[in-house]
Amino acid sequence: MRLGHVIGKVTLSAAEPALRGARFLLVQPLSRAQFAGAPMEPLAPGSSLVIYDDLGAGLGHIVGFTEGAEAAAPFANPTPVDAYNAAIVDTIQYSPPLPPPASRKSVT
Amino acid sequence: MNLARVDGVIVSTVCHPSMRGHRMIVCQPIDEAGRDEGTPVLALDPHGAGLHQRIIYSTDGSTTREHVGDPRSPLRNLVLAIVDPTLAQP
Repeated sequence: MRLGHVIGKVTLSAAEPALRGARFLLVQPLSRAQFAGAPMEPLAPGSSLVIYDDLGAGLGHIVGFTEGAEAAAPFANPTPVDAYNAAIVDTIQYSPPLPPPASRKSVT
Repeated sequence: MNLARVDGVIVSTVCHPSMRGHRMIVCQPIDEAGRDEGTPVLALDPHGAGLHQRIIYSTDGSTTREHVGDPRSPLRNLVLAIVDPTLAQP
C-alpha cells in the first residue's frame, strides 16, 4: 500500500458495465518530505493516478491505496480495477533516523 | 520479499474492514547497507516491530489475505520477520 493525496475526482461517461456507479479519485503519491509533514503543494514529482474509492475520501484527504491484483480483490465479480482506496489516513507518525554524517541520499 | 526499515506508523479509522485492528507501519525500503531506496510503503505488522528496526515484508497478497482471514482484502504488504541487529548495523 502507498500513500497519496487526493487532488481531484474523475467521472466517467462511457465505462465498462462493472464500473458503473463507481467513484474515482485522482491521487498524487506523497514524497518522503510530505510523509514528514511538508505541505501538499507543490505536488510531489511523479505521476498521479486514478483510484477506485468506496470509502468516500474527499479533496485533500490522504489515502492509502493498493495497486495490482490486490486492488481487484475486494469485488464480488471480476472488476477491471488496479488501484483501490483501502484507507483514509488520519495521522502519519513518521520519524526516519537522522542522516549519518556520511553522505546520504537527499530526501526527495 | 523486501528488506525495509520501520520509520513510522499510520492510524486510519475509515478503512477496509480487513484492516481494522491491525497495525499499519511505514516501511522505508533499504538496500543491504541500509541506504534508503525509494519512497516509503505501508505494511501490515503482526509482530510489533519497533521504530528503526529492520524488517522483511512480503509483497504477496495471498499471504496477507490468509493472515487477515478475508479473501477479499486489498492488502498486500505483510511484515514476515524482524531482522536481528547482529549483522553489521550501518
